[in-house]
Amino acid sequence: MSKPEKLHPATIVFNLIKGIKDSIFLIILVFVTMFDDHLLYAIFIVFFLLLLITGTSILSWSRFTYRIDGDELRLEYGIFIRKKRYISKNRIQSIDLTQNLLHRIFKLVKVEIETAGTGSEAEASLLALSLEDGEALRAELKTLKKNEEVEEETSTVPAETISRKRLIFAGATSGSIGVILALVGFVSSEVIRFIPNSFYDEAYKWLIGLGLLLMILMGIGVLLLVWLLGILGTMTKYWNFTVSKVGEDIVITHGLIEKKQITIPIRRIQAVGHVESVFRQPFGYCTVIAEIAGGSNEKGEQFSTVLFPVLKVDELNSFLQKFLPEYQADNRKMHSLPKRALKYYIARVFFPALLLLIAVGIVVPHFIWVPILLLIGSIILGVLQYKDTGHVMDGRKLSIRYRTLSKTTMVMNHKRIQALNKKQHFLHKRENLATIKLSIVGKMGLGKHYFVKELDEEELHHVADWYSYRGV
Amino acid sequence: MRKPPVHTISKDAIKAWKITAALYEIIVWLISIVAIVLHFVLDFPLWIVLILILTSIVSTYLTVFLLPKLRWRRWRYEVFDQEIYIQHGILVVSRTLIPMIRVQHVETEQGPILKKFDLASVSISTAATTHKIPALSNEIASDLRDRISTLARVDEDDV
Repeated sequence: MSKPEKLHPATIVFNLIKGIKDSIFLIILVFVTMFDDHLLYAIFIVFFLLLLITGTSILSWSRFTYRIDGDELRLEYGIFIRKKRYISKNRIQSIDLTQNLLHRIFKLVKVEIETAGTGSEAEASLLALSLEDGEALRAELKTLKKNEEVEEETSTVPAETISRKRLIFAGATSGSIGVILALVGFVSSEVIRFIPNSFYDEAYKWLIGLGLLLMILMGIGVLLLVWLLGILGTMTKYWNFTVSKVGEDIVITHGLIEKKQITIPIRRIQAVGHVESVFRQPFGYCTVIAEIAGGSNEKGEQFSTVLFPVLKVDELNSFLQKFLPEYQADNRKMHSLPKRALKYYIARVFFPALLLLIAVGIVVPHFIWVPILLLIGSIILGVLQYKDTGHVMDGRKLSIRYRTLSKTTMVMNHKRIQALNKKQHFLHKRENLATIKLSIVGKMGLGKHYFVKELDEEELHHVADWYSYRGV
Repeated sequence: MRKPPVHTISKDAIKAWKITAALYEIIVWLISIVAIVLHFVLDFPLWIVLILILTSIVSTYLTVFLLPKLRWRRWRYEVFDQEIYIQHGILVVSRTLIPMIRVQHVETEQGPILKKFDLASVSISTAATTHKIPALSNEIASDLRDRISTLARVDEDDV
């Protein structure tokens, strides 16, 4: 693949759609302002605009070429300003193949190539290639070393696919349930407040009762619908979620309508962890995530890349054993926080809730019970955060655990930690507490920082000794 | 991380910080003066004027006279062959370890005020973080930059 190749002509259609989408506001504006007096002009202007968009779509397609030369992917593009972008193969962080509905109709695929560079956009984005070309490009970009074995032995490749049952469970415990529970709590308490006045009013008590019942039923119906939509959304997104290990890469495929295939070189992974969200934790389930340098578009749990949507916490070890044995860590003996740290954890969540209570108390005293509930919740959360926080070192691996709302455990390798920071204010100093910050490379080439707050100072020093290259 | 780093930064840093802070304080005072004028010309409420003047006095005392000295006293650094160790912060003391093999690049920088005192700052960047040692004598800063850039080898497992 050394001669410059063009993208599939369907790219023009994609460019066109994008162009129209970007200028839709302008088109509407033109019509609204000129509709009465100058309709003809408006049509003319919009026609001209569309012509312009079509022209640039065709031009930008015809000017876009890609080729692989030696160890580089070379892109040339740009209509007025010609741009050349060379990406070294061994700097590639991940290769994503995506198919949305339109792609699938024409049997096309979008290829996005990420490096560790800064920015939210992929470094190379090939809008539409035929499926074979896309696969070929991916394979070509992966063949870096000469002694690469042929990837034909698919039967021995470790792989794991999500089961239907798990998928439904994932949907049922996804974020949408939280919104619904809050809504139910709010609405039902308001209804209870409302009932006595009308219910015991004899004249039309039955009628209103019926109306109320209808309203409640309808409310429940709407909530159920939102929940079902949540399930449906999760299911279409993670449909057939399969993770497999091909040579030195983790390959993830998922999606029902929009199909995605993500290839992540294992040595580009910065940290691996699992998130136990509030709704999944009671059932003993978690989500496996990975932190990858560079700007992957895949947004999952806390904006990290999802390695597996739902997994039993018990199965985690065997999962990692299969795919990422280097991130298999013994998390059983987590060092938890000293007792004296608890007050800081409670204070951090208690005071914002208290402020809210005061504000609501002054402005809308009628709803005072909402912040009171929040206040109680915040104390529980503070205690849970305190209880869950911990760290443990296991050889060259450091595991940390913390909770914001979901309980998160991250495992990072010594060599992936870019810097270690200890922070201590005067109150901490008196009690020999300190906060540790661990920095790794994260999304968009920016740093991602993990904190373990109010750690015993001596334990922090152990971590620092472990991290230090001076071999204290 | 038990002991603080040994080297302090240049003592002239205090002067440089004082001048920088004073420049900002001029803006704060200008606002107060405008308020005073407005009070006499347009009956601008007196209590706002008083609050503004009080803020100006307190902030000038803090940023020009008190904090630079405290800040200087806390600022420490030490460069080992294997890592860089930095301490700073007045109320919150922060100590950072940066392994040499994680350093991506290092640069010195000199603004007009630092130049007046023949000072320079050194910025050390890893793939995830940037750390700045604010005011070293120009000579030490250059030496440090050169030393760190020689020590910072490329790790085979970089990002």
